[in-house]
Amino acid sequence: MGAPDRSAPGRAPDSPAAPAPRSRTSRRRRRGGIKHDLFGYLLLTPILAVMALVLALPLVQAVLTSLRDERVIGSPSETVGFDTYLIILQDPAFWDALGRSGLWLLLNLAVQTVLAFGTALLLQRQGWWARTARVWVVLPWVIPTVAVAVIWQWMLNSNYGVITHAFAAIGIDLGSPFSDPGIALITVILVNSWHWFPLAAVVIYGALATVPVSVLEAAKVDGANAWQTFWAVTFPILQPVLFALGLVGSLWSFNVLDTILLTTGGGPAGATTTMPMYVYETAFDAFRSSQAAAASVLTVLVLGVAAALFVRFLRPKGSP
Amino acid sequence: MRSRAMGFTAIMAASALVLSACGADGDDTDDELVVWHLETPPNRVEALDALAEEYNNGDPEMPVRFEVQEWDEIYSTIAAAASAGDQPDALFVTPDLATYVRQLGLGAPVTDVVEGLEAEHGFIDAAIDPYRDDEEYWAVPLFGMVQVLWYRGDMFDDAGLDTPQTWEDLLEAAETLDTDEHSGIALPAGQNQATDQVLYSFMVTNGAADIYTGDGEIDFDTPETVETYELYDELLQYSPADSGNYSWGEPQAAFNSGSAAINIEKGQYLTPFEEETGLEPDDLGCAPIPTPETGGQPGSVYFSNGAMVLGEDEDRTAATDDFLEWLLDTENYGDLLNAEPGLYLPLTENGAEESDWREHETISTYEECVDVMLEQSETGELFGFVDGQYIDDVGEISGQNFIARAVQEMYVNDMTPADAVAAAQEQMQAAD
Repeated sequence: MGAPDRSAPGRAPDSPAAPAPRSRTSRRRRRGGIKHDLFGYLLLTPILAVMALVLALPLVQAVLTSLRDERVIGSPSETVGFDTYLIILQDPAFWDALGRSGLWLLLNLAVQTVLAFGTALLLQRQGWWARTARVWVVLPWVIPTVAVAVIWQWMLNSNYGVITHAFAAIGIDLGSPFSDPGIALITVILVNSWHWFPLAAVVIYGALATVPVSVLEAAKVDGANAWQTFWAVTFPILQPVLFALGLVGSLWSFNVLDTILLTTGGGPAGATTTMPMYVYETAFDAFRSSQAAAASVLTVLVLGVAAALFVRFLRPKGSP
Repeated sequence: MRSRAMGFTAIMAASALVLSACGADGDDTDDELVVWHLETPPNRVEALDALAEEYNNGDPEMPVRFEVQEWDEIYSTIAAAASAGDQPDALFVTPDLATYVRQLGLGAPVTDVVEGLEAEHGFIDAAIDPYRDDEEYWAVPLFGMVQVLWYRGDMFDDAGLDTPQTWEDLLEAAETLDTDEHSGIALPAGQNQATDQVLYSFMVTNGAADIYTGDGEIDFDTPETVETYELYDELLQYSPADSGNYSWGEPQAAFNSGSAAINIEKGQYLTPFEEETGLEPDDLGCAPIPTPETGGQPGSVYFSNGAMVLGEDEDRTAATDDFLEWLLDTENYGDLLNAEPGLYLPLTENGAEESDWREHETISTYEECVDVMLEQSETGELFGFVDGQYIDDVGEISGQNFIARAVQEMYVNDMTPADAVAAAQEQMQAAD
């Protein structure tokens, strides 16, 4: 919301020529501005109240729980200060899960960006298949996660999986992608990326449509090839959209629990236990609510720092 | 002005919604009993609702309403309900869940009810023992579940194999039937309860049922337990490659699709067998869990599912007792058991013969297998409740699937059975 322009046209802002009238005008405008701002804030009140109810309260509750030694949620407990944090920080499984989450985030980001960009560029082309694909490409995204998990478990099942059999027909033994600790994480990353890349593809496709044709034609006239045009013209125009998509997508991706829980349950032997799975297992399998809350608080801090670094170093030039 | 009025209306509406949600104190349930069960498959929900309707048609003092809860969330759900003082009148439990619910300060003794039912119907020991502590019974047993060996009769016939009775027979059959077309056996090896239970069934047959000392300390790392893990490790060689991700559903799917010849599970195999395999009922083979050649004993994991009475009001408690007694009456018991025919087994002495349970098509079709399960029930065990034990915090051990974790370490991370069992012992001690 921009501040009202307090300077009169054609007059220097600090000119002493007519101080009284300018001051009255200024006060009137300021009063109007304050009223305007107040009304704006008033309109925001309901959503802020809802946000406080559904976000701030649980967050505060999580912090308070993390300072206790509560086991099952709701059971009697005592305040132990930061002891719970020490337990979590000394747990190798926490650091393993954090590292795995970092890998999960980076690989999801990379795979989804490549898939989304490639798809968006293909969708931009002319032809009936591109028009058809614009509708059907979102299909993986609209399928509920539970169905995605079941579909991929079936397709990769070692007994009757379609993909397993297809690869076997050409002499490639896929093994058991969800239960081989060496490839289970990458398998779940691919499944998750398949599920979510259409969203990014549609957003990028929409952003591509905003690139002025005249600019592209000018680049062509100047002799730029396709790669030069993309890198020097299209990409800078898309940067604000990609920045927002990258930030929000990373946070979403980091917090994915359902896909992992439904496909591998964090296994085999913890090979796909990322931070959300670690928190879930600590809370609902090990019944250590306070430790789960402490791990959650630490995760929020890590994500906050990561988001700040993302904004600091990857923010497009010229954006606020 | 208009927008302000709309905003005010919206705020008031939201506040009213929030307040009404906070104020929902169960006024609508004052005149009816609420019973939580954990049987989420739709056919079971429908069958239990039908039972409640039948009970309510008899014009009882208080009608009953079933509410279904998710098994995975019941620990936190019941804790939240307890802290809010808004618990149901009764809750379906397994023995380990019952110990946990009691630790929340919930549960009334039902000794009079159990003793009355015992006198009238006669409970098998495995049904009532796990609910006895401090000279009282804490749940009314309703139905049992036991694991047995299932095998594909068609594959056994083709290979000229007999029913496995010993561990050696089982290994031989699994090896023989492990071909390019199908796996010899399908075993769960995921970190889940399914794996816990199958491995524990073998432990029972090897005399390793009791994982606690007489003082209630963890005693998991024994030679018998290590031998059992060695057997499981060998059997897993003949199980599908993705067994490390298997729980309950996958082995059954492999069995019914013809991808595996042998499974170990409870009685849910009966109902879908014909439809899913296209075979005759005679092709479903069943037998008690094979035992070691020397020193072995018949046995399997056994769950006595019961109902705890959680209400604190005397009238409601009495009404809940009435309902539970009604369920176990031979007139109604067959309907309760046939909510999932074959899986829910009678645990009263007259329940199998005097109720109409055996008249159900599934039960009568697979009569021999049903009898195998009933016989196996007599030697059933559950850790934490072996030989009259009552370990208060057994839920800490069962909830974290330490037995299955050791299987994963062995199967996925190539740990030796001895090392995996030793690691599990340490983990259990740390959690205890």
